[in-house]
Amino acid sequence: MADGQTSYVDAVPSGSGFGQTLDRVTLERARRGDMTAFAAIYDRFGGACYTLALRVLGEPAAAEDIVQDVFLKMFSTVRGFRGDAPFGAWLKRLTANATIDVLRARQRYQGDDVEALFEAMPAVAADAEDGVDAWSLLMRLPPRARAVVVLHEVEGYTHKEMAELFGQSESYSKSILARALKRLNDDAGGSAEVQDET
Amino acid sequence: MKHERATARGFDPRRLPEFAPDPALWSRIAAAQQRRVSVRRWQRAAFGGALAASVAAAVLVAGRFGVAPVAPAATAAMQDESRTLEGEWHRLAGTRAAALGSTRLRAIDAELQAAYDRGAATDELASLWQQRNRALRGLIAAMQDGAYGRASSITQL
Repeated sequence: MADGQTSYVDAVPSGSGFGQTLDRVTLERARRGDMTAFAAIYDRFGGACYTLALRVLGEPAAAEDIVQDVFLKMFSTVRGFRGDAPFGAWLKRLTANATIDVLRARQRYQGDDVEALFEAMPAVAADAEDGVDAWSLLMRLPPRARAVVVLHEVEGYTHKEMAELFGQSESYSKSILARALKRLNDDAGGSAEVQDET
Repeated sequence: MKHERATARGFDPRRLPEFAPDPALWSRIAAAQQRRVSVRRWQRAAFGGALAASVAAAVLVAGRFGVAPVAPAATAAMQDESRTLEGEWHRLAGTRAAALGSTRLRAIDAELQAAYDRGAATDELASLWQQRNRALRGLIAAMQDGAYGRASSITQL
């Protein structure tokens, strides 16, 4: 568990809660500024926002700040949500943008060199038990590499979408992803499959 | 492009845990939203006050330099009535006047400001001052009827 205030909801989850739907009535009430509708939206999607931010940032307090920022922004912009995409996808994008903004602010002096990103990683102690824990493995990666892994492998972002998100070329996220997955699989002691990227 | 993928034998992203935030987080978010709403109301109220002050200043300056009055007697009378009504509204609402202020009143003030800025015709100004006075009378009536406990009904006037 990440800290005393954070609790697991599901020990064997997959994906995230952004795939849930939001009924039209709640959405319309939210557009009119109804706080009970916002509370219902938070109940449904707050955990997903928090999980995404925590997986990338690795810090519960920072993840809560992201959730607060995202929901305050949602309150003021939901009137402009036209419903072209699912509400959860829209909220996921708000969350990803806010999280990457934090990473960008923290790493502005570290540059965008992929090699340097991984060279800065601490040495990994050989620990068989940690080696099979997905969360521990993920937390060994630099935050930007975690972001690429989480957004691509869990949230389904394409490299094109990540290029827009990071303000980099597609090859940037491809390079980070390849390095990160190799590192993760090496640390996990598993075999790495090489597959065509489509 | 070839690259490694997470595998079931190695790192499996499906095994990442999901988390629930601190249960108190929602109350903090809701409180922050309420503060933002309150700040916006005060800003609008301050804008309305600044508008009234600038209108009064314009009238004074015109009189000081002997410039022909911008508004004829009919509009000036409406402005006087508006000031009287606004004083009554503030007397009844006290310190809550800004918080309970009418969105309609603020909208009219904005229209008045824009009308003065572009040098609108007297009849347009007179119409806006009439609307302003009507809105103020509505606020005062609602306050006298005891509707001030139902702030939402007042803000919609």
